[in-house]
Amino acid sequence: MTCKAAFMLAIVAVPPPAIAHHSVTGQYDPEQRIALSGVIRKVDWINPHTYLHLEVTNDDGSTTNWRLESAPTAMLRKARITPDMLMGGGAVVTVDVILARDGTEHLAWLYRIDYPGGHSYQLSAER
Amino acid sequence: MRTTAKPSWASGFALLALALGNLPVGAQNGESATPRLASGVPDLNGTWDNGSGIDFIEPVFEGDSICLAGCNDPPESGAAAAPLPPDRPRYRSEFQARVDDLDARQVDEDPVLRCFTPGVPRIGPPDKIVQRDAEIVFLYDDVSGNFFRIVPLDASGHPTDTVPGYLGDAIGRWDDDTLVVETVNFNGETWLTDDGSFHTPDLRVVERITRDGDTLTWRATAYDPAVLAEPWNLRPRTAYLTGIEITEAPPCIERDLGHMVDDSSHDNPR
Repeated sequence: MTCKAAFMLAIVAVPPPAIAHHSVTGQYDPEQRIALSGVIRKVDWINPHTYLHLEVTNDDGSTTNWRLESAPTAMLRKARITPDMLMGGGAVVTVDVILARDGTEHLAWLYRIDYPGGHSYQLSAER
Repeated sequence: MRTTAKPSWASGFALLALALGNLPVGAQNGESATPRLASGVPDLNGTWDNGSGIDFIEPVFEGDSICLAGCNDPPESGAAAAPLPPDRPRYRSEFQARVDDLDARQVDEDPVLRCFTPGVPRIGPPDKIVQRDAEIVFLYDDVSGNFFRIVPLDASGHPTDTVPGYLGDAIGRWDDDTLVVETVNFNGETWLTDDGSFHTPDLRVVERITRDGDTLTWRATAYDPAVLAEPWNLRPRTAYLTGIEITEAPPCIERDLGHMVDDSSHDNPR
């Protein structure tokens, strides 16, 4: 892990409700769970899954762009969550994610976003 | 309750959700009379939350925080309701190996995973219904896109000059207070479910829709005797009148399948 903000979290095994178009655990590994801090630069408001682009600043000042996969748009819409809300106004946010099983770098499934004001969006059950 | 710093999602859920108007209207109002058109038939007009064939979304709002999934605390006694078993058609024995093969290779074969139209009955109940005396229009807000089906109620039969399609050709009629929709003329390129349940172009689907107050019940039966051992009666689905309107569907762009590490892709009940 090259990002100073990343650290391993405890794993809690909770049977998930199925909210995904495909099997999340077929693509992402719940045992590789990390937290990242960065700025959400873009939201791909697409189906079958939305993607958030998180820019993380590394120790040497360079940046890494992470792709964070999340719920379908209709589900976010039913929770009254919009792309602008997800963006968080360019503030540094903390995300709770699990990494891609196939080793693709900087690709993860998004559990939750915590914003500096104290509010959060929990977008997926733990897998 | 959890003892972590996470918000207490469950607390105040009902009150907050009600205040935000996010519960199905029927759930808010309880029982109500079934409205009818001037002609006397049930009025099916409205937008209906059917759970998208996956899960009903019951977001929890707490201040500015929103929880979309996994919001409730794990049951202390392990008394969580067991998931329903898969609802699947039964095939003639000579076709079961093909179903099993397609199922094992779902990542490679399932049309829905590639954003194709789900077909009927896989698309499920309509998300919105626009009804007139002579026709009913079903509108869908699906992860694969927006779809529509126009269902004439005064047709003498199915047209013979239309190109076979993913959603087929539908005609409807009223059987007392039940809307009965028969659909034929499929192109055979969809699946009945997510597990390799192929069908032939001769598939015939009969849907039956009833309204009770602000609740819609959708039943469907698939007939395809060339491959099915018996007609498949789907598990009924329920939809609730909702104040959340459907919208233009964003594009469906598949980005995941190349990253799947096995072929057991789908964990959805539809």
